[in-house]
Amino acid sequence: MSSFNDIKPPKLRPQFGAMHPINQVKEFLIDLLQGYGFTAVDGPEIESEEFNFDMLNIKKTHPARQMHDTFYVNNKSKVLRTHTSPVQIRSMLDLNPPLAIASAGKVFRKDDDATHLPMFHQVEGMYIDKQVTFSELKDLIHKIIYAIFGQDIQIRFRPSYFPFTEPSAEVDILSENGKWLEVLGCGIVNPVVLENCNIDSNKYSGLAFGLGVERIAMLKYGVNDIRDFYKSNLDFLNQFK
Amino acid sequence: MKVAYKHLISYIPSKPSIDEISERFFQLGHEHEIDDEIFDMELTPNRGDCLSVHGLVRDLAPFYEIDLTSDIYEKELKELELGFVNHAPEACSHISFLKIDIEGEIAPYNRKLKEYFKDLNIKKNNFFTDISNYISYEMGQPTHCYDAKKIGDLSLEIIKEEKKFHTLLEKEIVLKGKNLVFLQDGKVINLAGVMGDLNTSCSSNTKSVIVECAHFNPEEIIGKSVKYDLKSDAAHKFERGTDPLCLEKALRRFIKIVSHHANIINVEIYKDNFVDYTPIKIPFDTKKIGDILGIFSDKKAFEEYLLKLGFEILDNKIIVPSYRNDIKNLNDIAEEIARVIGYDNIPVTPLKMPAVNAVIDIKILEQNVKNFLIKNGFFEVINNPFVNTEQAYAIKVDNPLDSNRQYIRTNLQRSLIENLLYNERRQQDSIKLFEISDVYSIDDGLKTKKVLGIICSGRVGKNYLDFSKKINIQYIGSLVKELLPATNINPINIDRKSFNTKLNNEIIYLELELNSLNDLNEDLLTNQNRSFKDYNFTKYTPVSEFPSSSRDLSFSIKKIDRYYEIQEYLLAYKSNLIKEIFVFDFYKNQKNNEIKIGFRFVFQSHQATITDIEINNIMADIISYTNSIEGVTIPGMHKD
Repeated sequence: MSSFNDIKPPKLRPQFGAMHPINQVKEFLIDLLQGYGFTAVDGPEIESEEFNFDMLNIKKTHPARQMHDTFYVNNKSKVLRTHTSPVQIRSMLDLNPPLAIASAGKVFRKDDDATHLPMFHQVEGMYIDKQVTFSELKDLIHKIIYAIFGQDIQIRFRPSYFPFTEPSAEVDILSENGKWLEVLGCGIVNPVVLENCNIDSNKYSGLAFGLGVERIAMLKYGVNDIRDFYKSNLDFLNQFK
Repeated sequence: MKVAYKHLISYIPSKPSIDEISERFFQLGHEHEIDDEIFDMELTPNRGDCLSVHGLVRDLAPFYEIDLTSDIYEKELKELELGFVNHAPEACSHISFLKIDIEGEIAPYNRKLKEYFKDLNIKKNNFFTDISNYISYEMGQPTHCYDAKKIGDLSLEIIKEEKKFHTLLEKEIVLKGKNLVFLQDGKVINLAGVMGDLNTSCSSNTKSVIVECAHFNPEEIIGKSVKYDLKSDAAHKFERGTDPLCLEKALRRFIKIVSHHANIINVEIYKDNFVDYTPIKIPFDTKKIGDILGIFSDKKAFEEYLLKLGFEILDNKIIVPSYRNDIKNLNDIAEEIARVIGYDNIPVTPLKMPAVNAVIDIKILEQNVKNFLIKNGFFEVINNPFVNTEQAYAIKVDNPLDSNRQYIRTNLQRSLIENLLYNERRQQDSIKLFEISDVYSIDDGLKTKKVLGIICSGRVGKNYLDFSKKINIQYIGSLVKELLPATNINPINIDRKSFNTKLNNEIIYLELELNSLNDLNEDLLTNQNRSFKDYNFTKYTPVSEFPSSSRDLSFSIKKIDRYYEIQEYLLAYKSNLIKEIFVFDFYKNQKNNEIKIGFRFVFQSHQATITDIEINNIMADIISYTNSIEGVTIPGMHKD
């Protein structure tokens, strides 16, 4: 029998908070890419049209540049970046190939409904070297998807269109309910973009890819409503310790 | 764009099944859904050439023999004398007008036309406009029909002054800024490439029509239909680019369809090309194509695919067809070949990347700050940067979602207060939140800083040590001192007066510029090289939207062996109506050899507002068990 003096107070259970689930997924993806050899880089959220569009071969006629798709600020002198791809432009202008960079952060589009938010997160990667091929891109994308969703996941590549990559692809995974879900966009860096950044496209080629962090988080955590991530509800956040 | 399966296979003699066509479309990158043998296509914006039956069939040519021979009017056409001046050749390089006069009754629509309206559920208008819409669907070339009796001399101009325009959908709009328009007697009769006006449009009585058929520079059309809120299939096509060389063919097809339904008494054409079309030529470098894709360079196969897609190869140069305005270089050609091969059929080659990577210092600092706060019970939040009013140096959004979101925040305070109040309304009594974000200002040039915002209120914690302690300036001061021993911080106590809340807990807020922190407690530094295998993606349970309710239960324990038993029992008690259980009070009375321990039970239902009966039933079960334990009493409650 224990004596009264031996009685210990109730165990203090750690009362940890939690990193936001979107940042957890973002860090997971950046860690994953760093493991493959990518260097993490950052860039500003308020960008010039030149870096957000022109240098990326997004013509003035592209629908994404219209006022109903892109937030323009400060008397239209700048935009809220619509993707993290301007970070790739800044890296190509700053660094000489070969280079492998990964960037993650907030991006903005003029959307606000049940499935789209005006602010969301992207993770992108780009690798420039001599003779980088589409079949190597496929290898990297397989590795990334398997690391996120497991080796048994079924993957398909579909042709798509991004002005900054050519050929371009969207990648789908087969969900448990038998539906294909788009999870990633990728492609071979358009030589026009390389030339815009003073990289000789006859000598170098590159691959690039981008993922929507919210989409990955929704699939990994089983969250059905994207808006739940941004209500700052403690009952919600408490589940991601 | 909707297209009927039967219309597609009418050009494919082998009549592939709808599922096979669907698979081919996916292989080619044409996303779609199928409903009742109608494809609802979601084409990428670079493939304006596919916005028609012919365009889609053309793309299927590498897989099937196709026959796109059109039934067109073959005879020579008389020249139409039209007073037309093109003042904007850079916006409209090619334009034609066709005048058709008919007499007598119009026959019922033939099978193809009938199916077009019925299967695609398209509203009929008048004879000429119906044919115009059908031609656009079949060939991808929009045309516009004027009642010839209402048309005199015309001009095409880019106007910059404001002008009123009454659309054929009877909508009055004011054109503002730069607009490409057709003018008659100084009046706008057509917002070029988007929509014509009401006065000159055709009606069911029209017997003489002028059909305008043009190739517009997409830059002049883009954004107009959205700007003036005009739903226009023509604008959708012109924005994505049309074929500058198909105008006469489209108009000859128009005549033919008219002739199937009415007696034509006169037909004349006006043609003008203001810029000669020069086809794009790309060197046919098969090795480079193979290198881009990472496949064997099979010249014969590549050539076959390209020819089937409508490209020509001459003097080892690929000549791009006039309808493919998306093809500019060899990477585009490589994509064409890859689409025909099928992306999934391109082999995977192991990628060997040089091992170079570096972690940026600011990330390490940020991560350490986060880790410290999380360890102390803080939850990270992320807010969007849009706010309604801000300081003079806030950046203004030129096209905000609404007037409540027209500035970019210059600090995190307002967002975090909203987060805190939201959680207070949800009955949270211990709230500790933080956010790390860039904020912006436009004071003497665009300025960016990364800041850490911390907000907290209510109980310090949910355990017997912290339950009675309330968060205050001292709490946050000593906490941050641990993190940043040498930094002078100035947390503020936010006045609740304007918040419409009955609570009186202090709200403490602190904001620090992250990049300026240079005295991080070295004992707290952690290794950032976390393996991704450490991440735990637990499936989440949707949160309840119903209010919670709590009950406290205190025990006096004199038989100290029972002390651990009661804790084990209560802290592990399971019910789908219990959200949380914790010890909020503990006291060892040395004098009486007695332990006093208090438990808080928080109840919440996912189905409805929890009732007293539901709570009492659970509490009765708990009390029944605890009451039966010898040496354990609930003060104020009679033991059975």
